[in-house]
Amino acid sequence: MNAHLDQATSKATGRLTRVRSVGFWAVLLVGVASVAAPPFLDEGQQTIYVLFTLSVIASVGLSLLMGFAGQVSLGQGAFYALGAYTAGLLAKQGAPPPLALLAAPVGTGLIAAAIGLPVLRLRGHYLAFATLAFHLIVLTVIAEARPVTGGDLGLGGIPPLLPAPFATPLVYCYVGWLAAAFVILLTGNLVRSRPGRGLRALASSEVGAASSGVAVGPDKLKVFAISAAYAGLAGGIYAFFLSYLSPGSFPILLSIQFLVMATVGGMGLVWGAVAGAAIITLLLQLLQILASQPGLPETLPAILNYAVYGLVLVLAMLLLPQGILPTLRDRLSRRWPE
Amino acid sequence: MGLLLQLLLTGIAIGCGYALLATGFVFIHRVTRVVNFAQGGFAVIAGFVTYSALAAGLPHGVSEVLAVLAAALVGLVVGVLIIGLRDTPPLAALIMTIGVGFCLWALEVAVWGDQPLQFEGLGGVFAVAGVSIQYQYALIVAVTAATFALLALFFGHSYLGKVFTACASNPYAARLAGIDVRRVGIIAFALGGGLGGLAGVLLLSLRSLTFDSDVDLSINGFAAAIFGGLQRPWLALVGGVVLGIFEQLIAGYSRASYQKAVSLFVILAILVWRAARRREQT
Repeated sequence: MNAHLDQATSKATGRLTRVRSVGFWAVLLVGVASVAAPPFLDEGQQTIYVLFTLSVIASVGLSLLMGFAGQVSLGQGAFYALGAYTAGLLAKQGAPPPLALLAAPVGTGLIAAAIGLPVLRLRGHYLAFATLAFHLIVLTVIAEARPVTGGDLGLGGIPPLLPAPFATPLVYCYVGWLAAAFVILLTGNLVRSRPGRGLRALASSEVGAASSGVAVGPDKLKVFAISAAYAGLAGGIYAFFLSYLSPGSFPILLSIQFLVMATVGGMGLVWGAVAGAAIITLLLQLLQILASQPGLPETLPAILNYAVYGLVLVLAMLLLPQGILPTLRDRLSRRWPE
Repeated sequence: MGLLLQLLLTGIAIGCGYALLATGFVFIHRVTRVVNFAQGGFAVIAGFVTYSALAAGLPHGVSEVLAVLAAALVGLVVGVLIIGLRDTPPLAALIMTIGVGFCLWALEVAVWGDQPLQFEGLGGVFAVAGVSIQYQYALIVAVTAATFALLALFFGHSYLGKVFTACASNPYAARLAGIDVRRVGIIAFALGGGLGGLAGVLLLSLRSLTFDSDVDLSINGFAAAIFGGLQRPWLALVGGVVLGIFEQLIAGYSRASYQKAVSLFVILAILVWRAARRREQT
């Protein structure tokens, strides 16, 4: 009986190691390909690449908050905006750009901690509403604080992150890549650490976690701040890359897009958010190309864009409600009997 | 004093419209646990159908009823899609409702274009204590009052209403009692669609009608619904009215561009205060 059990266990772990090793090779492949790709892209594609890395950073943060700490946020775009304006304003005041970039995640994280204190008393859908409202409030503040932010006209003339010969889209590709790699590594280590395990417990049952000694309140606040800091970092790079910011660049739809990216790829998996960001970015670009074909009636591009995006969201969640990566992982581990 | 009274009255009326949207959120969420972000889309579809029906020469009343029925039908289809085909986890369902919202955008731009349209509500004004109020606002309050009364009758005294309540309070036990919880959920979606449509017919004649008007309506409806914990329609009515009054007061006394942020902040502050008080009691 016992031998049977041992055999079964070793079979299962064998399968799991195999899936893990597939995962390892996949990560290596993605890493190498994403480092090698940028020089072969034209300038427009490099821009998309940069924006993709920024989406990865923001949606990994959201995935950390939602998948591991079980809190829903509809305000990740607001922290993205706050990071962008922090970096942009500081750099325009004459702060060295790298320092201004560093200030973006730090400042955003501190703001998140400050608003998290009252707001994290709310949970579930209440928190989703709170973050959505926060996004709208941030947009209004940015639009109304005209003397500081330039209001609806926007904030222009942000200096580049690095001096002249390095201020090319190619360099920003690697800045974005490095930031994304850092965030992925940090998140991976964070969720495997002791506080990370506490967080997972928190996601499944707050009461259970609290009674096992997890400091629920402080831990939630920390994750909320870290998740926001990620978005702030992405926003900071965005500010230097585009050198122009306006509230119109950070609509509510941006927060929703980060939510979609984190969910479609697979909640609770760091690489799920990466896959989700890649899929949604590619899809949106394809639709953009389709829409810019000459000779189409005026409203057709918009119709196609909304219809395909909407249908993909509905079908993806209908067919793969757990997200793409978790489904793939389960398929793989079933496909490989010993 | 006149201005204050006028702002309060219009605020209450617009808040009633938000409350109708909120009841849609509440009924769908109570039975299915799905937060339906396509709720504003139901309202906008109803607005467009009203516009077309009026343009086709149908009289007022008939056009509006048609529009509400069309929104209920859209709600039914959405319900089948989201919970009828398989058990969807709530978060996946939420993303699906966002996808449905985009599909509705595509449909609306395809049929009605992307330029703002306008349709006539109830014209004319009447005087209350020296301030003139549009008849449309009185209509919104009257329809909302009638709807809430009907809903109270429906949930309190009809068999189907009690089935709804059973599914909301304990789906498992409801299934044991022979109730098809999934079908009730789909009916809830149709009901939510109709309520959203009603709000759209009433509110959208007061503003210009574009395909993306639904974002604003969804946010306001969600805000009012969350005031009632996505569970209690009467509290959602209070939330909607608070939201409407603050919007109008700020637009009247300060700047219209602040109205959204400040009114949402007020709702948020009340929610946090309530949560804090609850924690102290326990």
